[in-house]
Amino acid sequence: MDINGRNFTKFLDRKRKYDKQNSKEAAEKQHSKGKLLAYERIEILFDKGSFEEIDAYVTPAFIEKGFGKMTSSYGDGVVIGHGLISGRLAFAYAQDFNVMGGSLGAVHAAKIQKIQNMALKMGAPLVGLIDSGGARIQEGVASLAGYAGIFFRNVQSSGVIPQISVIMGPAAGGAVYSPSITDFVFMVSKTSHMFVTGPNVVKEVLNEDVSFEDLGGADVHARKSGVANMIYDDEENTLLGVRKLLSYLPANNLENPPYLCPSDAEKDVEEKLRDIVPDDANKPYDVKDVINLIFDKGSFYEISELYAQNIVIGFGRLNGKTIGVVANQPKVLAGTLDINSSMKSARFVRFCDSFNIPILALEDVPGFLPGVDQEHSGIIRHGAKLLYAFADATVPRITVILRKSYGGAYCVMNSKNLGGDFNYAWPTAEIAVMGPEGAVAILYRKELAESEDPAKLKKELAAKYRNEIANPYIADEKGFIDEVIDPAVTRKKLISAFDALENKHVNVPSRKHGNIPL
Amino acid sequence: MKINSLLIANRGEIAIRVIQTAKLMGIETWVIKTSKEPNALYLGAADKIIDFSDHSEEIPEFLDIEKIIKAVKSNKIDAIHPGYGFLAESPVFAKRCEEEKIIFIGPSPEAILKMGNKTIAKQLAREHKVPLLEGSLGNVADASEAIKIANKIGYPVILKAASGGGGRGMRIVENEHELEKLFKMASSEAAKAFNDPSMFVEKYVRNPRHIEFQIFGDKHGNMIHLGERECSVQRKHQKLIEESPSAALDPDLREKMGKAAINIAKSVNYYSAGTVEFLLDSDKKFYFMEMNTRIQVEHPVTEKVTGLDLIELQIRVAQGEELPLKQKDVKIEGWAFEFRINAEDVQAGFSPSLGVIEKMSLPKSKNIRIDSGIQEGAVITPYYDSMIAKLIVYGESREKAIQYSAIALKKLWIKGLKTTIPFCKAVLNNSNFKKGIYDTSFLVKEMKIHYFEDKDAEMLAAYFATYDFARTLKEEEGKTVDFEKGKNMNPWILNKRLKSL
Amino acid sequence: MKDTNGKTSKDVLIACGEGKRNFEIVNPLDEIVKIKGKKVDIKIFEDPDGFSYLIYKNHKYQVDILEKNQNKYTIMVNGVWYYFSIETPISFKRRKYLSKSVNSSKIVKITAPMPGKILDILVEENSDVKQGEAVIILEAMKMQNEILAQISGKVKKVNIKTNDSVMKDDILIEIERS
Repeated sequence: MDINGRNFTKFLDRKRKYDKQNSKEAAEKQHSKGKLLAYERIEILFDKGSFEEIDAYVTPAFIEKGFGKMTSSYGDGVVIGHGLISGRLAFAYAQDFNVMGGSLGAVHAAKIQKIQNMALKMGAPLVGLIDSGGARIQEGVASLAGYAGIFFRNVQSSGVIPQISVIMGPAAGGAVYSPSITDFVFMVSKTSHMFVTGPNVVKEVLNEDVSFEDLGGADVHARKSGVANMIYDDEENTLLGVRKLLSYLPANNLENPPYLCPSDAEKDVEEKLRDIVPDDANKPYDVKDVINLIFDKGSFYEISELYAQNIVIGFGRLNGKTIGVVANQPKVLAGTLDINSSMKSARFVRFCDSFNIPILALEDVPGFLPGVDQEHSGIIRHGAKLLYAFADATVPRITVILRKSYGGAYCVMNSKNLGGDFNYAWPTAEIAVMGPEGAVAILYRKELAESEDPAKLKKELAAKYRNEIANPYIADEKGFIDEVIDPAVTRKKLISAFDALENKHVNVPSRKHGNIPL
Repeated sequence: MKINSLLIANRGEIAIRVIQTAKLMGIETWVIKTSKEPNALYLGAADKIIDFSDHSEEIPEFLDIEKIIKAVKSNKIDAIHPGYGFLAESPVFAKRCEEEKIIFIGPSPEAILKMGNKTIAKQLAREHKVPLLEGSLGNVADASEAIKIANKIGYPVILKAASGGGGRGMRIVENEHELEKLFKMASSEAAKAFNDPSMFVEKYVRNPRHIEFQIFGDKHGNMIHLGERECSVQRKHQKLIEESPSAALDPDLREKMGKAAINIAKSVNYYSAGTVEFLLDSDKKFYFMEMNTRIQVEHPVTEKVTGLDLIELQIRVAQGEELPLKQKDVKIEGWAFEFRINAEDVQAGFSPSLGVIEKMSLPKSKNIRIDSGIQEGAVITPYYDSMIAKLIVYGESREKAIQYSAIALKKLWIKGLKTTIPFCKAVLNNSNFKKGIYDTSFLVKEMKIHYFEDKDAEMLAAYFATYDFARTLKEEEGKTVDFEKGKNMNPWILNKRLKSL
Repeated sequence: MKDTNGKTSKDVLIACGEGKRNFEIVNPLDEIVKIKGKKVDIKIFEDPDGFSYLIYKNHKYQVDILEKNQNKYTIMVNGVWYYFSIETPISFKRRKYLSKSVNSSKIVKITAPMPGKILDILVEENSDVKQGEAVIILEAMKMQNEILAQISGKVKKVNIKTNDSVMKDDILIEIERS
């Protein structure tokens, strides 16, 4: 029977009213800010026609002693539901800036919590599309309680299901903490902002003029604060980026990551790899060239590309399997480890370990970045994070030493005795307690002081040291390296090594949780 | 003394160029390998390689006089060809060769020393009545002295590094106001580049043509000139396109300038190849600028129109032979252009464009010669200059040469980085250039756009970008991620995982 | 597996060049594409040597993707490069809206065009600069390169010191458009 023939008047009325909330005018209002409607975003994020909304008709909480005006609308400013992303179940919430500025009231919060609970129960990824003015002042403490409830569930879900936050408008005050707990934060250039206190407060308290963009724009968070993992120029590309990221991740911490059949064009022997590391030990190169030649073609997806560029992290596929890669970048700060790069990579290693993603470390590190600033800012405890993360990880872990591997940085970068399953080295590797110049200065202090031409002597000794000590062969003979390999066959070696480690399991001592130096 | 073996103390295309001739003469060729470019093309061209890969001195390999001398001695090599740049104009190096009884393929240390010092060179020109530009008699102590002199001879003036060349340490000053700032910049640049901050000042001729004469002398007092080259297509004193002969000279003027060039060279008993540089103003008055005591980058255009092999002549003269020809035997026929194909971004003010030469496709024809020290896969690094290749095109007349050049440039394809090819095309398209009417201000004044753009190129670029974007999207969407495979786990790991959670 | 097609438009794309030079391209993957409303016949051709060409109106053009980052492309055609960002109709609209809003592109960041060492900084914070004026001397490839101000305005921020080594694309100074 035709739907209009039955007594469905109320049903249809409601539907009409709800549709009006997403009318052309409403869309225009968002579009003129360079933004899309919550619905339009969801349509891009999910597979076509797969999204099912729930709780669309809830109304805002009733307030007895109203302060300020409240508009009555369905949904209370947030769309929640489930659907398929690349054919796999995922949950999402999307705040609707058109309804009371996407502000978070009690009902709004309850909806988000509901979808968080469902995602956790079902063991499926959760994506939050954030576009909200913040806590709804009219509802007072109830909205704050709402935030706290969201944070609590974020933490409960952490390490169980992947959680992704996409900032597509403002996220201010308490609202920023939910994204910061989740695993990955995406931001859209120019139209998204995150800050704990906004420009107005900064002006009042500190009398400093700062724009939204300079205080908490996408660029700032991607380059300086490291809060944003990924930034894109527009919303469509941002959401496609989320889809892409999810294609590397398992749905929960019991599953293994997904698989993408590699193309036939993959080469077992890649001779170009032999030429990437320059003969001159002080000459930089781009470690991303190495990554791209080892992994399946075009499969490397970099995370936090613009932040702490002296370390490169991201996901790639090796013969179809997701691998997390942590690589020192000799092109930036000579690839030294500093506070920011340690924190960036430590968190990434923790993520991979939570979700059964094997880790590959590509090492070319002259050491930790020296300096008063670094020491005083706590490089000791921040550097320890990376060390802890590697040592604590039970997923398969492999290291390839490309060139420099000196001192404490050698230990930290997933060395054999830190529990690395396989440690390989290229013939260009230099493994030693310290670099030639430093070592010679200590070992031959007296000789150098007495020499007529100390600079020359130092150079000669350094060359000798480089030749005799700083190479991979001593470490290989002593068993700290499993094999010195021809760079051209690195991919082949790694594929069979990760295959061998596929069913690795480590019995960890039972404890509530370790105490990582936070 | 016959040379049986020869070290080229240089790299890149000039090393290959010297090797080519040396091989024809039956001479064993040696080159130096450095860690900066261990796979360079010139290494493969030579018979023998001396490995300087472990070089760890501050001073670059090709400037390390004692190391090079030692290597030559221990390998019992007869001679050294310095190419251009590096030690080519180092009197110290030439002297050390002399002391060690190594044949230095170039002029005497005294000639290098005198011509290398612009103050002495000018003095010599003055003595031999060769017209030159007014300026400071020798180096100036500081900016304030430069200002004093400049005020006397009138602006604009040019500040030049006493040991300079190639545009470095050089600034044109339009008025007193900016002199001090520019003096500092030029002086510091000179200190860095040549290890000598001393500067001199001279009158600046606005918009002159840059004409240089190739001269050749032997150790028996013979001296000839091989005609001129015009190098007026320059940017900030860097030559970009050269031609021989010059459209600005008639036989009379050629003879006059040639004589002047020979006189200058004779004043220092010059032998080997040398270049005397002149400025030619719009009244066809010429002024001596300087003499370069080496083989020049642009020597191929002279070779093309004279039919001579200048490297061969250099080697013969170094062996003590007499020049095989007299001035009357020198015949200049046809016209030749040289285009410097550099890795530079002409759309962004000729800034260096670093990167990898992914692919190169070179035109081939009997009229075309390409001198290059680079092969596919080579990386343009910040360590050396940005020259990829020299394209030399010969034609029976200037018109023909221009016509052939346009075709050659169209067929020259380089993939991977930005080059000066569109610039060369734009020059060839300029009507005044075609007529031969241009001077050193050509680039700034005559050319509004420094690159040649095909009519539909922008649209095609837009299309190609869009095509790639759409194709990538389609590919991404076409990928079928297999989530099931992640769920089907070996019971071993699944059970253990369950228990440990 | 569910149909995931039609995530974003591939049928209509707009290549936005410098300034307002935009090309609307319909069906870029088809045999016959429509560019700015006109049907155009372009063939893509790759030779075994690894060069790509476009054949258009019986002419052969060498093309190359010099740089590609997300939706931003630098394309070379016969040695001349062009910069485009590829937009869908939606993102194109967004771009237009955003360019209208004032605060967006007021600050222009001058970045290092190549790695090198800062030899001299010719401006200081709050000083006025004219378009085309040299602001920084960067030493690279053994040459001193002048870095010019792309716009006229006031220097908001100087992020570097003399003798700093900088990487390509490092932000050197920021200028506020006047």
